[in-house]
Amino acid sequence: MNLLYTFRIAIIGLKTNKSRTVLTILGIVIGITSIILVMSLGRGAQNLILGQVQGIGSKTIAIAPGKQPKSPTDFASLFADSLKERDLESLKQKNNVPTLDKIMPIVFGSESATFENITYRPTIWGATSLFAIIYNVYPTEGENLSEDDVKSYSDVVVIGNKVKEELFNGGEAVGKKIKIKGRNFRVIGVLPQTGQVSFVNFDSAVVMPYTTAQQYIFGIKYFHRIVVQADSEANVEQTVADIKTTLRNNHNITDPDKDDFFVETQADAVKTVSTITSVLTLFLAAVAAISLLVGGVGIMNIMLVSVTERTREIGLRKALGATNGDILKQFLVESVILTTTGGLIGIALGSLLSLLISVILTKTLGQSWPFSVPLSSVLLGVGVSAIIGMIFGIYPARQASIKNPIEALRYE
Amino acid sequence: MALIEIKNLKKRYNDEAAETPALDGVSLEIKEGEFVAIMGPSGSGKSTLLHILGFLDQPSSGVYKFDDKNINSYTDEEAAKVRNQKMGFIFQAFNLLPKTTVLDNVKLPLVYSGVKESEWEAIATKAVEAVGLGHRMYHEPSQLSGGEKQRVAIARALVNNPKVIFADEPTGNLDSKSGGAVMEIIQKLNEEQGRTVILITHETYTAEHAQRIITLRDGQIEKDKQTDHRHKAGEFVK
Repeated sequence: MNLLYTFRIAIIGLKTNKSRTVLTILGIVIGITSIILVMSLGRGAQNLILGQVQGIGSKTIAIAPGKQPKSPTDFASLFADSLKERDLESLKQKNNVPTLDKIMPIVFGSESATFENITYRPTIWGATSLFAIIYNVYPTEGENLSEDDVKSYSDVVVIGNKVKEELFNGGEAVGKKIKIKGRNFRVIGVLPQTGQVSFVNFDSAVVMPYTTAQQYIFGIKYFHRIVVQADSEANVEQTVADIKTTLRNNHNITDPDKDDFFVETQADAVKTVSTITSVLTLFLAAVAAISLLVGGVGIMNIMLVSVTERTREIGLRKALGATNGDILKQFLVESVILTTTGGLIGIALGSLLSLLISVILTKTLGQSWPFSVPLSSVLLGVGVSAIIGMIFGIYPARQASIKNPIEALRYE
Repeated sequence: MALIEIKNLKKRYNDEAAETPALDGVSLEIKEGEFVAIMGPSGSGKSTLLHILGFLDQPSSGVYKFDDKNINSYTDEEAAKVRNQKMGFIFQAFNLLPKTTVLDNVKLPLVYSGVKESEWEAIATKAVEAVGLGHRMYHEPSQLSGGEKQRVAIARALVNNPKVIFADEPTGNLDSKSGGAVMEIIQKLNEEQGRTVILITHETYTAEHAQRIITLRDGQIEKDKQTDHRHKAGEFVK
């Protein structure tokens, strides 16, 4: 019996019981749809986050105080105070870190800002004028911070787009004074709308000289971060090594295991982020796979019912010369057609939903959520559904094929 | 040379607690071209015998040679091929595929034969016309009368040009008129085309279409004799 004919028989068999066929396919559709959806959204999230991480350039190196966090509970390092002005000065010296191009300390925290009667709680960023270059965000109104502002502890701020909207209700902001922690700050610049850039949302930020922020806002003498840019990508590794040596000298550390700081490059961050999102995607896909398993058991169930219902047909076919193999093929092809059809519908449906969600997310998040259906997920979807048809179809098909023809013919 | 030769054939069903087996030492020979009727009350073992002769069931012990070859030496595939190529089956319950046209029902044995798909249509059409149902070609079984259904089954039995036809109470579900038409066709298959016919019936008037009547009782042959007053084809009394 040729394969084409087997297909036609299978399709006739499936057509004679349309509603049962549709319901069986539905189980597989749901499974494959969720797999495609999860993998597609996972890929989208990965692309988005990687885009953010890469947004500030691969020459960028971040130095944070405390031990490198090895687990989610290691956040105590956020409050470590090991990075001080002296470290900044040492790092700036050419003979210590010759490949260093730019360096900027950062302090940050949340504080209330008031203009007239309106209060808003932005993120306060203490930085230098370099933040505009490093994060690629320049004021569109007014001007940037200057080196003099940093040196003279000036009470000036550059505010984010959202801060301006909240405090000034869309009106003119440059030149006005806002009050933070009882101190008046003059707005000298307004940043354009940026959305998230490398996990920082400048829309809700107030940027001021780090000297001012340390002295009058946070009352601290250390930094939360020091951001460094190497002079070229090729020199990133050398720069990291020199930074470590310099800081260990400063802190009298001989054993690298006892470092009270850690250095992260963009490459590290990219790697960490992709590992996290991959694991997450895999986990969600595993959950979706369980629903496929349920769909598979459904297929097996329905095929067994179908085999019982068609016992006489099986007996007749055998009496007319069908071999066990012919019968096995017929029922196996039926279940593979069921699952593969379900798989294809699932891929289409999953892609469509994923596209829909990416459009909605793009609108609500205010930034473009990249839509992509990974080819691997499509192949996985088709492959998995066909294999499920095989695995869960083989038992009913075998039950059908080993039926004694005469008992089958007598079956009522 | 006998087409069918059985010696001391026994059949006992595993799940049967009964003392007497379904077949208890049956021996007989059937030559090519013979028309044999097997009679007997229900439970006499006539259906079991037919199923074993038709390769649909296996004997528990004894010898069965078909075409001079012992049934035990056929593999499952070979047995399926013999059923397909050399045997035709007509059942009391017709056993047509529902929701499938007359033509496609008749094609069914061709599907499992080596015949090319391009030739199926012509062969099946000829077989349907031969039983006088050319005008019902694309009807489904539910649209046919009992007699017409059985004629479709005969066309299906003939489509691979078999040597032997097994008919299991072919008129059992039919009224006398359509039963007569069916028996006329079956007798002509024997007389005009020289096919061996083995017919099961419990009705004497149906059995009398055959040349030879074998009567079974309790799994053994009670009588085996030539028919005294054989009906001519088309002569059917009920």
